[in-house]
Amino acid sequence: METTAATRAGTDILPGKVGVWWFLASEVMLFGGLIGSFIVSRLGSSGWSGEAAHLSVPVAAINTLVLLTSSMTMVMAFGAVEKGDPRGLRTYLFLTVLLGLTFLGIKAYEYSSEVAAGFTPVTGLFWSFYYTMTGLHALHVLAGIITNLALFVMARRGLRNQHRVELAGLYWHFVDIVWIFLFPLLYLT
Amino acid sequence: MTTERARPNYVAVWVWLVVLMIAGVLASYLPFAKSAVIFLVFVVAATKALLVALYYMHLRFESGLIYAMVIVPVVLVIALTFLLFPDLVFHH
Amino acid sequence: MSDPVAVLAIPEASLHHEELGFWRTYLFSTEHKTIGKQYLSLGLFMTIVGGFLAYVMRWQLAYPDTEVPGWGFVGPEFYNVLVTMHGTIMVFFVAMPILLGAFGNFLIPLMIGARDMAFPRLNMLSFWTLFVGTLVLLASFFVPGGAASAGWTGYPPLSAKAIYTGVNWGLNLWILAHAIEFASFLMGGVNFLTTAITMRAPGMTFFRLPLVVWQLLTAATLFLLSVGPLIAGAVMLLMDRIAGTSFFLPEGGGEPLLWQHLFWFFGHPEVYVILLPAVGFVCEVLPVFCRKPLFGYRWIIYSTITAGILSFVVWAHHMFLSGMDPRLAMPFSITTILISVPFAILVFAMIATLWGGSIRFTTPMLFALGFVSMFIVGGLTGIFNGSAPADIYITDTYFVVGHFHYTLFSAVVFGGFAGIYFWFPKMFGRMMNETLGKVHFWLTLIFFNATFFPMHILGLGGMMRRIANPMQYQFLQPLQPINVFITFSAILLLVAQIPFAVNFVWGLVAGTPAERNPWEANTLEWAAPSPPPHLNWGEAIPTVHRGPYEYSSPEGPEDWLPQDRLVVARSS
Ligand SMILES: [Cu+2]
Repeated sequence: METTAATRAGTDILPGKVGVWWFLASEVMLFGGLIGSFIVSRLGSSGWSGEAAHLSVPVAAINTLVLLTSSMTMVMAFGAVEKGDPRGLRTYLFLTVLLGLTFLGIKAYEYSSEVAAGFTPVTGLFWSFYYTMTGLHALHVLAGIITNLALFVMARRGLRNQHRVELAGLYWHFVDIVWIFLFPLLYLT
Repeated sequence: MTTERARPNYVAVWVWLVVLMIAGVLASYLPFAKSAVIFLVFVVAATKALLVALYYMHLRFESGLIYAMVIVPVVLVIALTFLLFPDLVFHH
Repeated sequence: MSDPVAVLAIPEASLHHEELGFWRTYLFSTEHKTIGKQYLSLGLFMTIVGGFLAYVMRWQLAYPDTEVPGWGFVGPEFYNVLVTMHGTIMVFFVAMPILLGAFGNFLIPLMIGARDMAFPRLNMLSFWTLFVGTLVLLASFFVPGGAASAGWTGYPPLSAKAIYTGVNWGLNLWILAHAIEFASFLMGGVNFLTTAITMRAPGMTFFRLPLVVWQLLTAATLFLLSVGPLIAGAVMLLMDRIAGTSFFLPEGGGEPLLWQHLFWFFGHPEVYVILLPAVGFVCEVLPVFCRKPLFGYRWIIYSTITAGILSFVVWAHHMFLSGMDPRLAMPFSITTILISVPFAILVFAMIATLWGGSIRFTTPMLFALGFVSMFIVGGLTGIFNGSAPADIYITDTYFVVGHFHYTLFSAVVFGGFAGIYFWFPKMFGRMMNETLGKVHFWLTLIFFNATFFPMHILGLGGMMRRIANPMQYQFLQPLQPINVFITFSAILLLVAQIPFAVNFVWGLVAGTPAERNPWEANTLEWAAPSPPPHLNWGEAIPTVHRGPYEYSSPEGPEDWLPQDRLVVARSS
């Protein structure tokens, strides 16, 4: 009759992984609320396509490529952890950080050329949304870069808690997914 | 636990992602009706997101609990957006 | 690396820990029980602040534009500050820290048989984040222009431009304090959920968890999933105020209703974030003092989850008169009435638990019964607010104020005190005084009703929700004696808390030392010493053999059967 388990009754998923996924669930709601507000505002107003045409699709496409590639290097860092390859881990983490910084650099270039062309957050509702959404996303990228940089430093000293790479990766891929949606929302429609 | 799982080919997923990205950009220039183009562009984006989630975030190899933690917020966001339509899109 | 045994071994290895210094033991502690007490202290302190604001507000309403004893002149602008900050403080800095922060932290690891939270350092960080948020909120009183005054709901356009309220930095800090508070409870919620999912003791299946754990987890989930859109809205509001955008300003193409939607998408689930833990305390207290199993354990869980899901699709019942699309009124009325079904199940389960029990009227039991009865009144008045035709007449009147104080005040005060009196022996290792506790209960019950029941009459008489001076309106002047009556009841309600304060301090210092299980209860926390030591369980964590409410079971020698007691089956 007794159904007592021999060990803990808790599921055998890593606590860190459960925690990160819960955190990401709340992040989905944050970006989802913002994107949902953008979608309904855009559908409810006219003339936003004309505003969006001022954005540079090629630059944003290159930035998308950068972020997608950084996702690959991040997951390869995790692959290196699994294979027990500390050199590979350091290399891929370094590449991920570099690609993240490249993304922010290109984004900064975009911002400055748009502001120079006279499009600031107060130019109109489209631009308010554009700067708020990409700005919030850029802050998330920055947080990811700092996390990955910290992991890189730890990896140089010999990372002990190795599943941290997997957890940081989950966050980094989430930030990538947000951009996968921001790109068509803002640039392609 | 993690080492036993078969690992996807990360580079192959990346190639798919890049192909889809280019497809999405090209689709936005197609001479179809605007709604059809938008539909196409977002199908491509959703596919990319799904690829990243399933293979890079290893969602394919996770338990139902973690699936629920992804699906529930996505459903909630979609519900919220649709319920905003009457006030912000239709302007009764 | 993900071997569950290795995860287990980490706390086991630090069982024989070196003595920590004063700072690490009391201030920057990572220990869940200490952090729970820190939340409790912060919440109780903020209760005094919020209560004082209520007093000043009430005096102004009874004797408009006279000197408030102990404060001074109020006036309409500062009255708006009082309304705003009273609401904000009570919801975000009293109810959540006490009900969710203090009890969630203290109870979850003890009740599931864990040694601590899943992420102890994150836990410490979430408390100190909240502390900083509290400081930011309190600081907003002292910046030029004073504190926020756009209502606790912060509706734009009023809140979107400084010139509309005359408050610039106060409202910016108010938004910032919210953001910090949200971050704190996001970290806390992630911790609660991860702990309960991954760290339960052997045998502690999900359907053996005490109900309060289920309710706390549901509350944490609701918070995690509802707060995102409001944070998005808060970012937009801050952009409107600081960068000059027009997300919520019609003249720039924005839509003020968007804020209301985002706010109430969070706002309604937030009500249950506060309510559900209190329901959980009552679910723990009732069976202990009825000496019989809780009625409908699984149905309570299913009802809680149903209410949680429904809480995401009722929010527009706050907006029937906001200019929202009237076609939304009907579906949101229907979901609102629908949500009373799971709550009715909860209340009936509580009443059915009482049926035929041998009831012990201790102080925690009295507060639990107070919660059940007062919550029924609040639930019934909610039906009027939830039905669009009735709500059109009573919305933004004192009827609404009466309604939400019957639900939220009863959750925080009756539920919260039930929890404090019940778990005080476990938290601090000493008993509180029963006589003082009963005096506290009866005075609170009487003056609670004297304060909030007449508000319904005022509301039906047409008194608006946020006016500084009812005497300005001729049709309200005949109702003024009711306002005076409410004010004195409210003052007496505040005075009625003195026995509690005395009892609490006296109990801490000189209360009778508590035994391990003074209430003869079943759940795991009572299997630990009072107060539980560092890492809770000594050498071995308990093993769970049964559900939490097996009172008067024929299996055991006593009328209670702790979850961790092994009963050898009698061979006949
Ligand atoms: Cu509501």
